[in-house]
Amino acid sequence: MKSKGKPSVILVVLLILTIVGLFLASKFLDSYKIRIITLSGIYVTLGLSMNLINGFTGMFSLGHAGFMAIGAYTVGILTMPISMKEMNFFMQPIVPCLANVEWGFLPALLAAGIVAGLAGFLIGAPVLRLTDDYLAIATLGFAEIIRVVFTNTQSLTNGALGLKGIPNYTNIWWSWGVAFVTIWFMAFLIRGSYGKAFLAIKEDEVAARSMGINLFKHKVMSFSFGSFFAGVAGGLLAALLGTIDPNMFRITLTFNILLIVVLGGLGNIGGTVVSAVVVTVMMEALRFLDESINLGFIQLKGIPGMRMVVFSMILILVVLIKREGLPGKTKRV
Amino acid sequence: MKRKLGLLLIVLVLLLSSQIGYGQKADEVIKIGVFEPMTGANAAGGEMTVEGIELAREIKGEVLGRKVEIIVVDNKSDKVEAANAVSRLIEKDKVVAIIGSYGSSLSMAAGDIVKKAEVPAVGCSPTNPLVTLNNDYYFRVCFIDPFQGTVMARYAVNELGAKTAAVIQDVTQDYSVGLSKYFIDAFRELTGDRNSIVEVSAYNTGDQDFTAQLTNVKNKKPDIIFAPGNYGESALLIRQARDLGIDVPFLGGDTWEAPEFLAIGGEAVEGAVFSTHFTAEAPVTEESGVFLDAYRNKFGKEANAFAALGYDAYMVILDVIEKAGSVDSQAIRNGLAKVKGFVGATGIITLDQNGDAVKSAVINKVDGAKFVYLTTVEPD
Repeated sequence: MKSKGKPSVILVVLLILTIVGLFLASKFLDSYKIRIITLSGIYVTLGLSMNLINGFTGMFSLGHAGFMAIGAYTVGILTMPISMKEMNFFMQPIVPCLANVEWGFLPALLAAGIVAGLAGFLIGAPVLRLTDDYLAIATLGFAEIIRVVFTNTQSLTNGALGLKGIPNYTNIWWSWGVAFVTIWFMAFLIRGSYGKAFLAIKEDEVAARSMGINLFKHKVMSFSFGSFFAGVAGGLLAALLGTIDPNMFRITLTFNILLIVVLGGLGNIGGTVVSAVVVTVMMEALRFLDESINLGFIQLKGIPGMRMVVFSMILILVVLIKREGLPGKTKRV
Repeated sequence: MKRKLGLLLIVLVLLLSSQIGYGQKADEVIKIGVFEPMTGANAAGGEMTVEGIELAREIKGEVLGRKVEIIVVDNKSDKVEAANAVSRLIEKDKVVAIIGSYGSSLSMAAGDIVKKAEVPAVGCSPTNPLVTLNNDYYFRVCFIDPFQGTVMARYAVNELGAKTAAVIQDVTQDYSVGLSKYFIDAFRELTGDRNSIVEVSAYNTGDQDFTAQLTNVKNKKPDIIFAPGNYGESALLIRQARDLGIDVPFLGGDTWEAPEFLAIGGEAVEGAVFSTHFTAEAPVTEESGVFLDAYRNKFGKEANAFAALGYDAYMVILDVIEKAGSVDSQAIRNGLAKVKGFVGATGIITLDQNGDAVKSAVINKVDGAKFVYLTTVEPD
């Protein structure tokens, strides 16, 4: 491991290269490719936030979609122009205290993170006494509860109709800016004493406790931080799409992020960043498999969904051959 | 070493993805993009729509002396994918217009992108009013939920002489919630009685047991029950209602028009009445006949509303291109905004200032395990 506190030269060079790369991309690429790059940034944040909970602290949580939903709706409701709110809530008027609110993007994003983090804290306090499969079930249930609540609170979230007309604030800089902050925060957290405590909890709870680590405090902390960044990423996603509805935040969304985490290696920051980008780009790059392919002598008719088959096969291979994720064995700090 | 391998992989992927962008042919064909759910929860609806669009292209594959190519991309019934897919159609495939998508929420995800890129989009069957609202580049060839709800309320009051009604809605589906709301408003107005809706019950997509809601409804003794929802849940719901001894008529929306509705519902759904866009039985226009015959020849089965709407969306765009004499996206948008009295397979289509189709609705009834045409309701 590099000496603590002093960032290695490679990292600085990599950072500068990425920023220059992003700058060039935003100047010269078309909006489709920029969209994919922006989406990658969001998935980096999501992957890292889940990695903190599942990878570093070793808690098997499946509630990520729920925290994203909270963040997305917070940003959606807070940033939407007042006139647009009236149009959206044509079934039942929005609750009066939110009707005349219109915030900037940064405060709204922070609010999204804080609300999601708070929800993480509230749900974490009772639920984190559970371990393994039981925790997975409890958090999964929580995410479903959030979705069902959002479906039924017509005057707060517009129910199943969803929200439309959320200003498109998210661009390549917002998404990657947040991603960099998240990377930095995770690296900072993991290198410090908290990170060591998280790792100790992951390896052996009993041993960690006997060494004087407050299990409960550290678990709730990791869970709340993870939820915070999930909420921020959810907010970014809402502002990227401009429209959200409760059905977006199903369990499949959580699995998509889990996939990134597993592929990148549990407890590996660099690996998660790489796998988030690779997974997002691959899903689009493999689209040619859906189309008809002309081999010159034979015309193959396109089968929709083919790319998902190929993608899943690549996944199975990766998991079989390299169980620790693409970048190799997790480094111990 | 392993890290290098990983980096190599990324570079490869990036190269590959940028490489796919090239290889474009000279621009003699007119490209129309289609984004539909070909996989995922809405795959059945997306597939039917694409069938209709492909059929339309076979019938009319040329405009202004140039060939038309349709490019179908899958949106996986997912909002994020839908946005990506539309962005790809515009930037990579350089389409002049876009058709899609089945599912209002998927269409809404595309709304901001087509607006920013100024490429017009025509929806086939998204019925949520929010889709075209505040968006000058989104149009649709179907009617919207407010109209559909009103039509059913009128039918219930005028034809069935209903004085009271109960509503059972699927709260997770936007169209079910929207339809119910407009049905309730219209029903109250028509009967002049605030208390004419005796019960509003709710269930979620995927529910199997509706006895709690139905027992409630049964105790209130309504004259009719309005229960818009997915065909699967609706058919089960009606079955369980009949088992509980509820014998009042069931009314619903366009989603009921699926063979599965009859298969699951069996005897129980006999007499169920629903509004839809189109009927194979009573061709509304000359174009309907052309479409029905062609569909029967190609696919060997009766056409449904979604295929017909896909067909119409394509035909409207081609008609606009022909009249404008240009394949410029802006010209197509302006042409679409002025569509008036277009004769489509699903009826006479006029697009209003929101870009919504003002057209007639068809009311069908289940009779002898078949969908039987009852009547056509004209717009106001």
